[in-house]
Amino acid sequence: MMEIDPVDDGPIQKDVPTPTGPSASPFNSPAPQQPVAPISKEDEARQVIEMLRAEDVSERVSAARRLEAAAAVLGEQRTRSELLPFLTDAADDEDEVLLAVASSLGLLIPHVGGSLHAHCLLLPLEILLTVEEAAVREAACKSTEIVAQSLPQATFQGEYAEMVSRLSSKEWFTARCSAAVLLSTAYPSFNTQQQNQLLTNFSKLCRDDTPMVRRVAAQNLGKMVKNVVTVMGRTSLTPTGKVTTLLLPLYEELASNDQPDSVRLHTTDNCVIFGQIMSDIVKDAPLEHDELALISRVMPLIMATIDDRSWRVRWTAAAKFNDVISAYDMLPGTMESLVPAFEKLLQDPEAEVRTAATFNLAHVANCKARVLVSNNGRPPDGGMDSSGHRTSVAERLVKRVTSLTEDDSDHVRAALAMVATELAPILGKESTITHLVPPVLLLLRDAASEVRLNLISSLSALNEVIGVDLLSQSLLPAILDLAQDGKWRIRLAIIRQIPLLAKQLGKDFFTEKLISLCVGWLGDDIASIRLAAATNVKELAALFGTGWAMENLIPAVLEIRENKSYLRRLTALQACSMISLVVDDDTTRSELLPIILEMAADGVPNIRFNVAKELQLLAPKCGLSVFESQIAPVLSLLSEDADRDVRFFADKTSQALKKEFAMSE
Amino acid sequence: MMEDSVDATSTSVSSIGSSSDDSSGGASPQMGGGVIPPSIATAGNGMPSEKTYHDLEAWLMKLSNGIPLAETEVKSLCDLARETLLNESNVQPVPAPVTVCGDIHGQWHDLMELFRIGGSAPDTNYLFMGDYVDRGYYSVETVTMLVCLKVRYPDRVFVLRGNHESRQITQVYGFYDECVRKYGSANVWKMFTDLFDYFPLTALVEHSIFCLHGGLSPSIDTLDHVRQLDRVQEVPHEGPMCDLLWSDPDDRNGWGISPRGAGFTFGVDISQQFNERNGLGLVSRAHQLVMDGYNWSHEKSVVTIFSAPNYCYRCGNQAAIMEVDENLQKTFLQFDPAPRRGEPHIGRKTPEYFL
Ligand SMILES: [Mn+2]
Repeated sequence: MMEIDPVDDGPIQKDVPTPTGPSASPFNSPAPQQPVAPISKEDEARQVIEMLRAEDVSERVSAARRLEAAAAVLGEQRTRSELLPFLTDAADDEDEVLLAVASSLGLLIPHVGGSLHAHCLLLPLEILLTVEEAAVREAACKSTEIVAQSLPQATFQGEYAEMVSRLSSKEWFTARCSAAVLLSTAYPSFNTQQQNQLLTNFSKLCRDDTPMVRRVAAQNLGKMVKNVVTVMGRTSLTPTGKVTTLLLPLYEELASNDQPDSVRLHTTDNCVIFGQIMSDIVKDAPLEHDELALISRVMPLIMATIDDRSWRVRWTAAAKFNDVISAYDMLPGTMESLVPAFEKLLQDPEAEVRTAATFNLAHVANCKARVLVSNNGRPPDGGMDSSGHRTSVAERLVKRVTSLTEDDSDHVRAALAMVATELAPILGKESTITHLVPPVLLLLRDAASEVRLNLISSLSALNEVIGVDLLSQSLLPAILDLAQDGKWRIRLAIIRQIPLLAKQLGKDFFTEKLISLCVGWLGDDIASIRLAAATNVKELAALFGTGWAMENLIPAVLEIRENKSYLRRLTALQACSMISLVVDDDTTRSELLPIILEMAADGVPNIRFNVAKELQLLAPKCGLSVFESQIAPVLSLLSEDADRDVRFFADKTSQALKKEFAMSE
Repeated sequence: MMEDSVDATSTSVSSIGSSSDDSSGGASPQMGGGVIPPSIATAGNGMPSEKTYHDLEAWLMKLSNGIPLAETEVKSLCDLARETLLNESNVQPVPAPVTVCGDIHGQWHDLMELFRIGGSAPDTNYLFMGDYVDRGYYSVETVTMLVCLKVRYPDRVFVLRGNHESRQITQVYGFYDECVRKYGSANVWKMFTDLFDYFPLTALVEHSIFCLHGGLSPSIDTLDHVRQLDRVQEVPHEGPMCDLLWSDPDDRNGWGISPRGAGFTFGVDISQQFNERNGLGLVSRAHQLVMDGYNWSHEKSVVTIFSAPNYCYRCGNQAAIMEVDENLQKTFLQFDPAPRRGEPHIGRKTPEYFL
């Protein structure tokens, strides 16, 4: 099972092995690099140009990142006539250098003379748009789009249009990949004739022989549709419109089973964009019959992603189903198939897909549409619900929560435990009690600690909906069990819920059922739990008042103060000190301060210096006369202590308090 | 030779920004301000320095957030630490109560978890029995943090030398490479390995619990033998100092040849004789992976403590620490690895990027 032997060999008897670091021997390593002295801008520019020719790749990379500085010094004229040709010639450099150049070129527009001259940047960019490395092309595309935006309309529709068209028909596929990106953004700025040509070119790229080109085209198809609808309006959605005749067929082709999954993977995003376009329209006016027909053409594409043979496609659909729902919630008739589709993702054979879908549970449940009552476990495509009753999506999905609590995968149940209680406010009190509380109780007792932890941390959403009676009857027993959980982070999560629970349950019920638990945590084996427990009793004292704290908390603190272990006595000290900060001043002075001062005589220095530390917070609450008569003498004793840490903290507190009391006089 | 677990994907300095958990009772050491701690004001060179104290507090703050110190800061820290450690004995007396810990091996997140379990320094006293570096990805942060705590609280924190606190071993098992990766040179590695020569070899808790990294040596009968060693040197390949850092207890009686190629194995007879001769109740040591984090052996005359949970990120073991209270009562606390933020919950790589 173990891949390595965790036992060490003895020392190496022969020579010291040659380390793999940059210096030959660790014993004569190079001196640390001297900080670079500030240099003038001219020097920097000269240095950049020098470094662009350097032997060392990393120097060329760092120079390529500073092109802007060099161009600023060279001036427009020389940048155009010297720097750009140099960069154009250097396009066969290492990928890292090209990546830096490609990114920098987009920043050079002001340094080549602004938009009138920006087109000269297209020359080196066109070469970078065709290189082998995809990251370089991506950076070049970004810079190209920045340059294109700054071009005068005539240049855009002239030189730039020619370049994009040239790229889209180049023999090497890398050029066509870049073209697919640039075409989709160029559309709005072309003239009508060019736009038609552009769509023809883009269609060709969607049907390219090379899958990599089709992949980039698929990635940009949604953007293309959005641009077309923005430019042409709803006429593009009529039976003879561009979307209907040209782009939706591309949706269908690129989502087809014949495509590699890397292409099909973009179906979800593209369908989301289509849904958003239609939702934008429906906000202002009802949809036309033809437009509804388009929706019913897209729906099968979404449905196909749910059943795709590639789990990556299904995972993408599951992970983005919140976007799908948001885009289609307003569109008539879509939820009837989307909700069952989502239910199917929740039952996917792959745990990763189920996990991704589960994370979107509350988001989907929140949609406004009403759907048919669940089809009772039959597959979502398995026929009509005969009753025809309609219900909210949340009502329908809550039934899936119960089956998800039985999922084999810890990750799915952990995801469920994180989101399940978010259904409560959507469902309302009655339905939460009937449908959500039972599976929540199962999750609270789940075998996997991560599941229990996630649920506890999200409990307050549920408690606020169901009210105190049900909380105390049904949830409390499970919570009490978890208070003793073997995993300390679970106990910690429970402790953090206690102040809120106390508020909901009220003083009497809380005192009866939960106080012994809270006191018990003060004696936990784990230091973090003891500290959290001390903070917790402080919050309870603040909530329920001085009298309650003195009666219910302080006796336990006094008992722990006698413990044999200094670490437990430390908790007693901290709890006492924290409580004394929230009870009334008289009680602090007369009852709690003496308890703390007595501990200054503890045999273990750690307790004594913690007394000194706590007094710094406590003394201001006790007032000047108590400070002078009771606290100062103890501090001066501690500042003579045999232990130097005790002396240190005593002096520190004394100085701080003297300052504080001097100021308040 | 075994495979080292450090790989090219491990984290560099720039990405170690955040602590792994927001739990209360966190590991940050107590901070103060305004007064020079007597420990430092009176230490070594006699230079009273409020600056030193403020530096230490600032460094502890950085380190408790997982940020390594700058090279110049490591230099100052090691200079201070040398002064402190030079004053300690080969058999350093340690008062009870104290919490005794075993191997950490660069698992910085788990060291922070250890402080969450045992309490933060200086509220809890600690004795670490060596092997702070190598194997894990955060040896730099781990050893810097422990040395910094030692210098700031010399009476609260004790650090012994393990067999990995050595020039040779750290060049094979990762600390050297990590220093070069994080600092761009071997300077920091050299500072720390030079400092390791000053770490005490053993500690003695209240004349009763003898604490050390490895185990006993056939050349050492009494604690006075240990006291006589000249420890300020690289860990030798053989001899008493090597044995203390390399030996292991064994089921067979007497002395045996160690399969490690350094140190010896020793039987229950040896342990009991040694304890009896020196008036000891227990030998407490680290050095060996034990699945429960601690393990009694030799009829409870020896205990092994191992404080690196899921050692090398794959052994699946629990870690443990031993709380020794003021009456020398022992309590073992076991713990699991700290949850790492950003670590994938899903077994398979999420399919965001492919092709
Ligand atoms: Mn070891």
